[in-house]
This record gives sequence, structure tokens and C-alpha cells, in this order.
Amino acid sequence: MSRNEPPGGVFGLSYDDESRVFEALKLLSTVIIVVVGVWPIYWMAQLAVTEYETVEDAVTVVPTPETFTLDNFSVLANPEMYTYMFNTVVVAIGTIVTVVVVSLIAGYGLARLSFPQKENFARILLIGYLFSPIVIGIPLYQIWQSIGLLGTRIGLIIALSALSMPFTVWLMWKYIMTIPEAHEEAAWVDGASRWRGFRDVVVPQCRPAIIAAALFAFALAWNDFTFAQILLPSTETTTFAPGVLRAMSQAQFLPDAHLMAISLVMTLPPLLFAYFMQSYLLKGFQVRAL
Amino acid sequence: MAGKTGESTRARKTYVPWESLPASRETIVGIGTVLPVVALYVLIAVVPIAFAFWASLHDIHTLNPEWEWVGLENYSEVMEIATFWGSLWRGVVYMVGSTLIQLAVGLWMAIVLNRITRGQKLLTAVVFTAYLIPTIIVSLVALRVFDPAGGVFQALGAEQFGLWGATEAPLGSREWAMPLLILIGSWKFSVFITIFTLAQLRAIPDRFYEAAKVCGANRWQMFRDITLPRLTGIILVVVLLRSIFMFNKFDIIWQLTQGGPGDATTTLPVLAYKTVYTDQAYGFANAIAVVMFLFLLVAAIAYFTLFNPSEEVETTT
Repeated sequence: MSRNEPPGGVFGLSYDDESRVFEALKLLSTVIIVVVGVWPIYWMAQLAVTEYETVEDAVTVVPTPETFTLDNFSVLANPEMYTYMFNTVVVAIGTIVTVVVVSLIAGYGLARLSFPQKENFARILLIGYLFSPIVIGIPLYQIWQSIGLLGTRIGLIIALSALSMPFTVWLMWKYIMTIPEAHEEAAWVDGASRWRGFRDVVVPQCRPAIIAAALFAFALAWNDFTFAQILLPSTETTTFAPGVLRAMSQAQFLPDAHLMAISLVMTLPPLLFAYFMQSYLLKGFQVRAL
Repeated sequence: MAGKTGESTRARKTYVPWESLPASRETIVGIGTVLPVVALYVLIAVVPIAFAFWASLHDIHTLNPEWEWVGLENYSEVMEIATFWGSLWRGVVYMVGSTLIQLAVGLWMAIVLNRITRGQKLLTAVVFTAYLIPTIIVSLVALRVFDPAGGVFQALGAEQFGLWGATEAPLGSREWAMPLLILIGSWKFSVFITIFTLAQLRAIPDRFYEAAKVCGANRWQMFRDITLPRLTGIILVVVLLRSIFMFNKFDIIWQLTQGGPGDATTTLPVLAYKTVYTDQAYGFANAIAVVMFLFLLVAAIAYFTLFNPSEEVETTT
């Protein structure tokens, strides 16, 4: 850097001015992100605690003492809604467990053992990203029907697990590669079997990757609409997303304020996960898994 | 009782004649570890695609499955009908529009989130929540705020900006349905790009920036020479993924507009779904699904040969 050159920030500003402009832009961006990011959640929350007659045809911004109510949450006691939410929770847990177990084992095998066609297997895995729920779901409808999995939660769990495989297996594979093999060798020297080494040395160190994979599976299962819509056709056994949409299209008593109340409850688990698990999530994603 | 050496512990287990097997023990165990994944793949991917192809050669009524062999007739019909090409075009518009907006917004959010000092954790949590919130809830809120009866955005747009009539539903208008779908989807899915790029940004050591600062680099130069090269690989990957996901997107479109008004937001997945349940033509829908899959396959192969994002990623790990 020559000393004769004029000290130059962006657009010929001095470094101090550049920093000031940068700080201002950062503040403005933060404000925009807060407003745009929080607004829909706030709006949902404020509609959820406003009397449903008011919500139907007027714009409210903050709930006033006259219109404030918690009655909307009575919709949670509605047996139908309760079933939908229960099914969603079961499917989410099932998917998380399946995905974590299967991808941990496969990731370990890919990272530590050598077997023929390993690289090709990994490449084929990536094709999994091309499978859209609709392309798979339409044929799967008939296949599940003929083997009796149509309308069962297990059928949905299998479908959702397979859909998250390309991502989570790749993630585990790359993550386990970052763990030094020497740790395991030390265990083997002490007489541990490969399985013991995997269970007691590798798995505990994989915590960030396990949490990242679990969150990914959770997001997929909690979000899923297309598979559930196709594979759980009967109203009694379906999950939240298709269930609530069907309840809306049937002409029954379901005011918007009640919908917002139940939506708020469904939003809470993701919000808590996002707050408490974000460092694991970011650490898991750092391995450039794909 | 377990002995003191490793050998005697192993002897307790069921006897496997590893030595006399044709492959080595490591190969067998290795293949065993990936077998569950292969099984899931075969069940959820290979079998359905093969089944879809077989079904697409037949004329099948959805509720009355009597398979009638028609050969390639379904495919020639798919290529002929105007709704197919229209849906393909709308799907491409939706995909390109969504991906571009999401890339811009997602990158910008990641850079801001990486740089702010106070409230970083809370703000990151809020942003991540947008991605984790179920799509149906995003749709429910969107339907609420764009409802002519008491929807705040509908009222704002009609009264302040005159974008649509006072009693008109924007999601039901030919002019606004598609742009709104792209914007509503982007609120949620931009965060996908933010998560991936933010993880990369966090991995860049601070000393790089300090060194650049000492050398007198300005912020733009630092961004261009330190940040951007680190992000290119992951950007290529997320652009590919987002394009595929948006092309395949069914849920948010179906929830918000059900492909309407008319055909204004009918993309290929919506068309396939409608064909199964509205037209009851199961074989024909499978033909659409197979064609969709082939389109994506060709596009992905082209993308991989042009940019090779996986190589980019593999070399850096």
C-alpha cells in the first residue's frame, strides 16, 4: 500500500465516513428485518387474542380491553383439531427418530468404511433433491393403498424420512469426517468393538450434526402439506396442515380468530427451537453439507 | 464372564465366518450401514417413479382403477394440451421470480445478521422461525390479511395505493395472484438461503478482515476479495436447490389460490394434482409427473455440468 495514494473508502469517502454510512445502513437493514420478520407473527398473535366477531370484518392493530379475549384458544379443545395436532406431533417425532438413526449409521459407514461404489452412492443420493412430493405422492397413493399403508402415520413417516435423506446423510458423512479417527483408534486399542467406538466416541461428538439433522427433519415434518394431503386422505387421521384446510372448506363454524389462535400454538415449538438451537444448527451447517 | 483381552469378548458373540465370505468384513459392514438409506430410496423413489411410468402408459380413472393400456398416448396428449405448456411457463416464471428474490433477500439478511452486535441471537431466532413455521400458517395469515373483509393489506392496498378495488380480493385477481404468491413464499423461503450463507460467514476467521484492514482495504474490497469467494460455492448450491424446490412447490400455491383464478397460478405440480382429483385421470397425471421429473433431471444435469457445485463444495471440505 503506497503512502501517496489518497486513503480511500467506498465512493472516495474517508474511512470514518465509510464506517458511519455502513453503520447507518446496518441499522436500517436491522429495522427492516425486524419489522418484516416479526410483523406476521405479531399480527397472528394480536388476532388470536381479539374477539372473533371483531376480527371478521374490521382491521384491528392492537387488542383493546373491550375486544381482548382468550376464548379463541378454546378451539384447541375441539376434538378434531386436537387429533390433527396430535398426529402432527407423532409424525414429527417419528420422522426425527428415523432420520437421525438412519443417517447417523449411513454417515458413519460412508466416512469410515471403504466399500465399492461408495462415491457413486453419494452421487445418486443427490438425485433425491429432485423428488418433489407431488411427483412421488401421486404414484405412492396407489402403492400405499395396495400394501395397506394409505392413511397410516407410518406411511407418512417413511415418505418424509426418505425425502430428508439426501441432506441429512450428506451432513452426517461430512461431519463425521471432521472428527479425527484417532479418537476411535484409542478406543479400539482399549478393546472396544467398532460398534462401541461408534456409540461412545463418534455419536457424542456428533451432537451439532444430530441436532441440525433433527431440526431439518422436524421442519420437514412440521411443514409437510403435500404428502399428508395425498397419503392421509381420510379426515380423522390426517395432520394439521391438510386437516385445517379441509375444515375451512367445509362450511362449519371456524372463524379466522380461532384459526389464528391454533396457528399461534403451532408456531411456538419452531420459535423455541430457533432460539435455543441456532448455534448447533449453524455449526452443523458449516460443514458445507450437500 | 468377559475375559481381559479383546479377543475373548468377541468370541462370546454369534459366530460369523468372515474369513470364508467372498467379500471383506469391512465391505459387508459398510454396505450394511447404507442399506437402510437404500431401502428407503427404493421404496420412496425408485418404485414410485417406475410405477408412475407404468401407470402413465395406461388410461386409469382415479376412483375406479381399471387399467386400460394406451401406450404412449398419454404423453402425446400431454404435449398437445395448452394447459401443460401454460403451466410449464407459469412454473418457470414462479421459479425464476422466487429464486431471484430469495437469493437477494437471503444474502442480504445473512450479511446483516452476521454483522450486528446487539440482539443478534434474538434476531437470528426470529428470522429462522420464518423458515420453521408451517407453510399452512403462513398461508392462513396471508389469506387473513388479503381478505376483503377486514384484511389489513387488502385495505391498505385499496385505500392508500389504489392497487385493487375496495371489495376485490387480490389473491383472486389475475393481475395480482402470481406476484403475491412469489412475495408470500419469499417471506418464508428466503431464510433457507440465509441459514446456509450465515453458516459460511460465521466460519470465516476474523483475522482475514483484520489483515485486510491493516493493508488499507475498504469494506467493498473486503467483501469482494474475502467474503464473496467463500460464498460462491454455497450460493451455487442453494440456487440449484431453491430452483428445484420452487419448481416443485405445491403446498403454498394450493393453500392460497388452488391454482386459480382460472389458470393464473396453475403450475405443473398443481396441474398434476388437479388432474388426479378434479379430472380423475390418474394415468394422465402420472404422465405429467414423469415429464416433470425428466425436466428437472435434464435441468439439474445441465446445471451440474456447467457449474459443478458439488465439486466446489467437496474440494473445500
